[in-house]
Amino acid sequence: MAATLTIAVPSKGRLKDNADALFERAGLALRKTGHERGYSGVMQGLDGVEVAFLSAAEIVHQLESGRVHMGVTGEDLVRETLPDVETSVEFLAPLGFGRADVVVAVPDCWIDVARMADLEDVAAQFARAHGRRLRVATKYLNLTRRFFAKAGVAGYRIVESVGATEGTPAAGTSELIVDITTTGTTLKANHLKVLADGLILKSQAHLFAASGADWTEGARGLRDAILDRLSKAV
Amino acid sequence: MAAESARKFEALEAQAATLLEIFRRGGYEQVAPSIIQPADVLLDQIGEAIRGRTYVFTDLSGEELCLRPDLTVPVSRLYLERHPRADAPARYCYNGPAFRFQPKGASGTHPREFRQAGIECFGVADRDSADAEVVLLVADAVKSAGLKQFRFRFGDIALFYALLDALALPERWRLKLRHYFWRPPAFHALLSRLAKGEAPNSDGPLAEFAATLADKDQARAEELVANYLETNGLPLSGNRTLGEITERLLDHGADLRSEPLPREVATVIDYYLAVEASPREAIDRIAMIAKGAGIDLGPALYMLSRRFDLLQERGIDIGAARFATEFGRDLEYYSGLVFQIETAGDRASPIAGGGRYDGLLRSVGAPREVPAVGSAIHTERLLAAVEGES
Repeated sequence: MAATLTIAVPSKGRLKDNADALFERAGLALRKTGHERGYSGVMQGLDGVEVAFLSAAEIVHQLESGRVHMGVTGEDLVRETLPDVETSVEFLAPLGFGRADVVVAVPDCWIDVARMADLEDVAAQFARAHGRRLRVATKYLNLTRRFFAKAGVAGYRIVESVGATEGTPAAGTSELIVDITTTGTTLKANHLKVLADGLILKSQAHLFAASGADWTEGARGLRDAILDRLSKAV
Repeated sequence: MAAESARKFEALEAQAATLLEIFRRGGYEQVAPSIIQPADVLLDQIGEAIRGRTYVFTDLSGEELCLRPDLTVPVSRLYLERHPRADAPARYCYNGPAFRFQPKGASGTHPREFRQAGIECFGVADRDSADAEVVLLVADAVKSAGLKQFRFRFGDIALFYALLDALALPERWRLKLRHYFWRPPAFHALLSRLAKGEAPNSDGPLAEFAATLADKDQARAEELVANYLETNGLPLSGNRTLGEITERLLDHGADLRSEPLPREVATVIDYYLAVEASPREAIDRIAMIAKGAGIDLGPALYMLSRRFDLLQERGIDIGAARFATEFGRDLEYYSGLVFQIETAGDRASPIAGGGRYDGLLRSVGAPREVPAVGSAIHTERLLAAVEGES
């Protein structure tokens, strides 16, 4: 039987564990089909649904292209990756897990810096003293650019960092960072502080619908059923 | 995009040959800098706004590289390779591709791959005549390519700096205003904040601590800041030094104590930045603003006037040109005269642009400041404009 609706869910990590538990509570337990290491499955209790187990980042691309109807992934990834969020996906429901704040953090010895507005002054001073721009280490290139532009901060450049971003200011490969934090413990351990107005995004996992998917009547029915049961279980 | 049809490809090639011929005859040696450039040097100069539109990638050895978004920095690097001591004048011309991501999608006037033909003049100490030489040569080049209707738009970064120097301002505000010039919305916010006498973050423990530094010299203040950091368990780390942190706290303390920027001073800056007229009229108006404020702009205004005389004498229609004090605020490496060539009413897609950038060579590695001025023609736009005219 061909699937009427495809939903993508995270294939590993805490996002997967949380998503599995949520679907279970909603009475829609996810089961892999075929090989245990495989990447497709079904939803118990709802016929016609195909489950695709993918990485959280890949889910964003699948949503954008409309190759899946629905997906569970982080808002931070969606807002970072999609150039036009509002037209490519619909936010169906926040899921209450995968919470993370995307923040601007600077060394806590920068006692002369409290807000975004200070950064441009620091950038000017830094350029005079060191002959180059402030470097911001992050994997969130687009979120950073948009947020800094809105704050009127321009004297910086991004250095891409895909891991251990918090360590880069002390290591001297960046001056400040944009990264996710949940409890702030890691930032504190690395002697970083979040700017007073440096919260870029309060992110959590959401259930998304892809605007570009093939929304047949059957698919819409399944979407409503999934949304209804999940909402009660969140 | 660049060669989407054989006909257009041939037309661009023919046009490039014409432009290069003019440049070479003007004494400019043809060069071909690398298309792939080290990302670091380039991106430190052009900033995140263009970085966001630059194709950056990492090669198999892990080196971060980019496709050049512009040819000025690559040609400057080429000059330094040939003259590491930056002690010889040189005139280079080029024609080649540059690459920029177009966030709204690539289009005819905003292709992601386009060809720039241009000239860069390094190490010529007589700045006025070098400026005029470059403007004239580019005008000559677009005319030879067949463009009939166009006009110049000019600006002058040095004149704005001269204005700031002439105004009675604390040095820390002068530095700030110079830096913020490149960020127009933030500039206006800063100016009105200074005029209202609002200090940022004037609340909280930081303000209290900054106040305790009042009247201390830098060395003593650094000791106090070092103590403060130690007492509060904030180890100094990263590339910013204790001296830099202290300097800003001292500035901050001074801001808290000082009188606001006199309203008249803010008004003079506002009036100045609103000037947009023909060059002659603009110079008269700026002279009047300076006179009204009782300040002397020094040689900057006279030099600007002299440059327009030179251009007029050599056949540029200065009466039809525009001069805007705001113009040139988006490419940070410019330091003096800036200009672009526009066709009827289309300011957003200039045919050519250029200006003086005396600070750039030093920041890409020259041992000293090198006078430099150049201009680049957007060849696809030039071709489209010429074809549109006929």
